[in-house]
Amino acid sequence: MPRTADLLGPSKERPGDNLGTVPIFAQRKWDCPPLGCRIIPDVLTGSLVAAGLLAISLLAPTEKTMGDAQRILYVHVAAAWCGLAGFLIVAASGLLYLLRRDLGWDHWAQAAAEIAWLSCGLTLVTGSLWAHAAWNTWWTWEPRLAATAILWAVSSGYLIVRSGVEDPHRRARAGAVLALVGAADIPLVIMATRWFRGIHPVSPQMEPAMRVALLLSIVAFSAFFGLLLVRRRGQLRLERLLGAMEREADG
Amino acid sequence: MAAQLWWIVHKDLVSECRTWRVWPAMLLFGLVVAFVFGVQADLPPDQRPQIAGGLLWLAIFFAGMQAVDHSCAAEREEGCWDGLLLYPISPAAIYLAKLAVNAIALAALECLLIPAFAALADVPLMSHPGAMLLVALLGNVGICAVGTLLSGLVAGVRHGGSLLVLIVLPLVIPVVLAAAEATRLAAEGQLGPEWWRWVHLLAAFAAIFVTAGATLFDFVIRD
Amino acid sequence: MSDRTIAVQASRLTKVFGSRVVLRDVDLEAAEGEIVVLTGANGAGKTTLLRCLASLTRPTSGDVHWFGRPAGAEPAARRLVGMVPHQSCIYPHLTVRENVVFAARMQGLREAGRRADEWIAAAGLRPYAHRLATHLSRGMRRRVALARALVHDPPIVLMDEPFAGLDAEAAAWLVDLLAEFRGRSRVVCLATHDPDRLRSLAGRVFHLQSGRIEPPEPRRVVATGHDPGESLAA
Repeated sequence: MPRTADLLGPSKERPGDNLGTVPIFAQRKWDCPPLGCRIIPDVLTGSLVAAGLLAISLLAPTEKTMGDAQRILYVHVAAAWCGLAGFLIVAASGLLYLLRRDLGWDHWAQAAAEIAWLSCGLTLVTGSLWAHAAWNTWWTWEPRLAATAILWAVSSGYLIVRSGVEDPHRRARAGAVLALVGAADIPLVIMATRWFRGIHPVSPQMEPAMRVALLLSIVAFSAFFGLLLVRRRGQLRLERLLGAMEREADG
Repeated sequence: MAAQLWWIVHKDLVSECRTWRVWPAMLLFGLVVAFVFGVQADLPPDQRPQIAGGLLWLAIFFAGMQAVDHSCAAEREEGCWDGLLLYPISPAAIYLAKLAVNAIALAALECLLIPAFAALADVPLMSHPGAMLLVALLGNVGICAVGTLLSGLVAGVRHGGSLLVLIVLPLVIPVVLAAAEATRLAAEGQLGPEWWRWVHLLAAFAAIFVTAGATLFDFVIRD
Repeated sequence: MSDRTIAVQASRLTKVFGSRVVLRDVDLEAAEGEIVVLTGANGAGKTTLLRCLASLTRPTSGDVHWFGRPAGAEPAARRLVGMVPHQSCIYPHLTVRENVVFAARMQGLREAGRRADEWIAAAGLRPYAHRLATHLSRGMRRRVALARALVHDPPIVLMDEPFAGLDAEAAAWLVDLLAEFRGRSRVVCLATHDPDRLRSLAGRVFHLQSGRIEPPEPRRVVATGHDPGESLAA
């Protein structure tokens, strides 16, 4: 049976490498990372998020047509970027699982899927609020918004399918297949809805301060969701480790 | 491999013809949906083609998923999946055989639904039969390419049958959209560059997902 | 074992389903002309072991070889194996003959109909050849499963509880068939709750317990027809 030591990662890992994971015990000599190593990512992320919020609320000027409601855009774009990046991580991790059969990759996939689902949901909500403020309508079939809606639906299906499979390897395989099909589908969705709407992408005109605020917002959201991703992956890894220890104890 | 593909298709079609477990329900469901949509499509004649294509392909999708779901679920009876996997045939070939069976089921459905829609919505869907045939063929392959792969996936999942539509529909939206637009243009007699653009999207979707399905099916059906 | 070819070899097979370890470091070898019997309580891992040997289930670790080649690496290699799994693997809405002919065609046999008819006759199924499988009793379905699995005369035969549901006549036929396999250098690996039935035929009996294989019971010398003094005991 897989030994606990086999689950602890390659021996070249050093303390503090795996930011956010719980310290290892039992069959390896592993020093608990210093407190500083464990909270530095949290402090950094918190600082970035604070900077982003400040930039959105204070640095970015008020848009002359929409007023303060336009500031939703900074959250909307950042969340959309995180949703897309999250789903790409799900697909890439799924592919690596299928190639390597290592459940570690599946932990990344599951954590990224949860983040992608949250991000896509946030994108849809903020997009809806922005559309209502801008055009007095709660929804518009803008291609990227449509693609995000589909991505959210695919992420929802991914998480529901996973919850219906008990065996970890079978669950990982099912998730990987669904994620790869979903990832291949997104470019086709964007193409189809663009042709349907006859819309060609246009870069919005933004003042330099707005661009800075947008960039800071994207960086802050990315850092926040990245931290959530690593923490969640650590949780999943710990669950598996504990399960393996229970099996060893039961013989 | 071609012979083995044919015998699997033959076996599935013979079983269905003996039992009629799925096709009657699928055809009836399609007709009911067509009737409901036909009632909704009570628009001025020049506006009907705009929505008839979309409603037709939604009806084909929802009715067709019954057949797609059954194609893999039926192999679980008496452990027949194990029997198939024990033969000297690759999982990709099994996938292609199941895809062919599902596409044939959808074709049978369309033979009934397209004339029904043409009559109920009073839209000239049959005015260019060659164009409709091409759109129907590519649309079937596109929907069945994704549906066949994912029906194998949910066959071993708790409440898998009800999940299939949930996970397939978002993925086949490009197919439904492209097929609907191509159908609309064909009904309006506009078979120019725009129509071909949608047909090319259908063909690209079918090619990409048949390849993906054939590659990934092994991971779906084998423990 | 002498200079017999090792037909089936499993090395350090381990299979974990979720949190359950079903097989733990199982080693097993079976040579041509040998009948290996697996016994054990329910849940001991017999079915999983046979499925791994048939390449139906991927082991968590370890490997399986057929005549020295990795099991199931190529689809064509599956012609080496005939398996009668726990379930019958027959299509309920095809007739007996259609089921066996389908199997013969999928195995790529040239005269699929003729070969199927021979096995149907041998299994005592001729009166039922055109009856739908769904109308057969459990024992009859078992016979159809045997005919389906063996129609292509594979050198490796794997059986999971082959005697389940068989009447005395069918069971006697199967015992004769197994003796025939042994005489023709086929290797048979079968799981059963009733090893006494095969005491005269079995080369080795392995007892599985909690996923581990116990040391094989030494059997009496089994006459092979080639070298009467040869012992197949480990």
